[in-house]
Amino acid sequence: MPDLLIILLASIFLPLFPMSMIFNIILDKIKQCWLRALLIIFWPLIGLLIVLNSNLDIPDWVLPLALSTSFLYSLRMLTLREVNQWSGFLATSFWSLLWLPITQGVSADILYWFAVSISMPLVLLIVLSAGLEKRFGAAYTGLYGGLARTIPRYAGVLVIVVIAAIATPLFPTFFIMLDMVVETVSNKPVAALALLSIWLLWSWAGARLIQGLIVGRASKNNIADMNLNTLSFYSIVLIVLIGSGVYLGGVIL
Amino acid sequence: MERLIIVVVFLPLISALLIQLFAGRIGRSVARISVVFTTLSFILSSVLLALALMGSEIQTFPLGSSVAALLFDPLSILLATIILGISLIVHLYSVRYMAEEAAYGQFFVLLDLMTAALLFMVLAGDLITLVISWYLVGVILYFLLGQDTRSQTAYRFAFWTLITYRIGDLPLILAAALLYNAYETWSLKAIFDAIMANPDAHQVLGLPLTHVVAGLIGFAAFARSAQFLLHTWLPYTMDGPTPVSALMHAGIVNAGGFLINRFAPIFIHSGDVLNWIFIVGLITAIFGSLLMLTQNDIKKALGYSTMGQMGFMIMECGVGAFSLAIYHMFAHGVFKGTMFLSAGGVINHARQDDGIPKDELYTFAVEKRPNKASQPWLLMAAVTLAVPLVILVFAHLLIAQDYFHKQGAIVLLFFGWVTGAQLIFATYRMRAQNIWRLVGLSILSLLVVVLGYVFISHAFDLFLYPDPEFRAQLYSAATIDLLRFDVLVGIVTLTVVAGWVITYFGERSGYYRRQKSKRLWLNFYALISREFYISDIYTRLTRLILSISGRLNVWLRWL
Repeated sequence: MPDLLIILLASIFLPLFPMSMIFNIILDKIKQCWLRALLIIFWPLIGLLIVLNSNLDIPDWVLPLALSTSFLYSLRMLTLREVNQWSGFLATSFWSLLWLPITQGVSADILYWFAVSISMPLVLLIVLSAGLEKRFGAAYTGLYGGLARTIPRYAGVLVIVVIAAIATPLFPTFFIMLDMVVETVSNKPVAALALLSIWLLWSWAGARLIQGLIVGRASKNNIADMNLNTLSFYSIVLIVLIGSGVYLGGVIL
Repeated sequence: MERLIIVVVFLPLISALLIQLFAGRIGRSVARISVVFTTLSFILSSVLLALALMGSEIQTFPLGSSVAALLFDPLSILLATIILGISLIVHLYSVRYMAEEAAYGQFFVLLDLMTAALLFMVLAGDLITLVISWYLVGVILYFLLGQDTRSQTAYRFAFWTLITYRIGDLPLILAAALLYNAYETWSLKAIFDAIMANPDAHQVLGLPLTHVVAGLIGFAAFARSAQFLLHTWLPYTMDGPTPVSALMHAGIVNAGGFLINRFAPIFIHSGDVLNWIFIVGLITAIFGSLLMLTQNDIKKALGYSTMGQMGFMIMECGVGAFSLAIYHMFAHGVFKGTMFLSAGGVINHARQDDGIPKDELYTFAVEKRPNKASQPWLLMAAVTLAVPLVILVFAHLLIAQDYFHKQGAIVLLFFGWVTGAQLIFATYRMRAQNIWRLVGLSILSLLVVVLGYVFISHAFDLFLYPDPEFRAQLYSAATIDLLRFDVLVGIVTLTVVAGWVITYFGERSGYYRRQKSKRLWLNFYALISREFYISDIYTRLTRLILSISGRLNVWLRWL
């Protein structure tokens, strides 16, 4: 298969604009939470499988396009209010950056680890979003707010998951971003600056999402909070994520 | 024994974990856990500081098998003790102050996490630990400022803080990445040793690496220490709880001064960057003080006061007086922390006494006190200008004979002189029965402050930078050519003296102004009262970016 066709195919799964829209169309159409979660886990892995098994000689234009795609989606995240859509855009923005380690010849094991580490907090966010839809009818920022007072446990977990997704220390996503900056700063300084601005936009978008959901007065309706077992489950997953982040940091840095 | 530094750092983390686990069972008693652990950590840190004062060696302690390490040196242990001291006071204050808060346990978890992050930051022995802790301080502060989750305003301004801190994180990350690529190690000590051995070994984009890294570190420090154009978050973040304001103004905001001190071995090879740092600090000090004087909201005035102080601290680094900046950080921390924590008492006092100054007619007619006697202005001007200068020169001569050979020292002396003169000048305007007694007391307090300041800052200098050659290098790196220096000092002197003369004659003539100059003055006042429209410009810029984002989403059909 010609290289261009492979890149075109791979650009659906490791998003390059405009092919990046395909993933977001599919995510929008799927209504089942578990299917969304599976999609988020396997989508970038398919892209990596295609690229890594094709002996592809990646052209120079791919990297600027990947960075532009990531920047575009991170900028667009700022005005998104629907949590699933927000997760989809963050996934698109983050996955497109995987072209960077691919072009630098990072080993396949590490690349798969990167992909899973990026997807994990997003899967948690998708599941939490489903919980909000069940409780309030929609997972929408600025619509009801006040989750910190209405369902404090749920809000606490939601905040930490968002923080994990937007590459905050000590989660794996942070070390992935740090590694990308370290690898690019000397030979591709413009790419390093682009990475940093994308990272900044994620923080901005994350803060807007958190504020739109947790801030405000408590709801007058009696809404069920997360039970202790579920809280324990999320806590364990997040601790594992932090542990894997620290371990990943030790491996790649 | 020095290995106990690891325990010092982990105690607040353990406390946070215990509170999180037991908050549901023991209720408000969680605060005790936090206070006990912070006290223990403070005691241990004080013991280690005493060891450092006795001449303990600089050591690095790896954290497990990772690249992360803690550095035990005079700067790190001194700042760790200061942080723990301030944190302990804030903890004790919060036990009752926050008692009515719904998220009482969560507040102490965040407070302990903040203490731990600050400790990791000052004790970091490698770039990764430094970057992570630097980043986390911003994130934790965001949630501490937004403690009241009902308040949209609190979160709005907490967000300003977060985004400014994130902007400040980026240059630090870049600097760390550049240093790692050049020296292939994350260890601060190894990097500094290599730079001291051969400062010009590496280049970036045709510039010496040390210059680029120093510039990036300087920028990171500006964002953290609210330097001009990156300051807007500071005066507005007053919706957070008072203990958080105290911790922020007394500790967190000082981090810029720490960062520049930590990278001192790089700055001694980057004189040009130090000159820029001086200019930014000077502008911040002037604008911060100017804006402070025109605020009618006391909290914003306090915020701008901190901004002015931070400008002065950064300026001290810019003239090569690195250890003085650390002392300034400590002194300002204690002073500002006291102000915030005693704010409640002040409000209570204000309810009993309105504090509105009486005018001369009131004093004469109601209180039956004669008006203040007028003094010969030439004599007062001579006292104003000569006394502070004599005190400053005398105090510095006691410390080091060669002090006046350093250009940076002259600059600081100049500012000390202006401040001292301003103090005495201000006393004339007070409505005292016995003006000479007041002037005498002011001079006495100035003498005590100057002597204390000079002796303590000299002690800080010897403790933090024991190598006299390194100290001399710091001052010489910040030196500018004599002509530029003289012109700068001349302009500032003329401006200050002109300000005094205008104020003096303005007061004598009852602030009468011609129509034209009055309009000009009002326009200037409007500009200052709107804080130079900087926040408005940022708000416009933010709206523009959000509007672009929204339009893109509409054009691309949200896909």
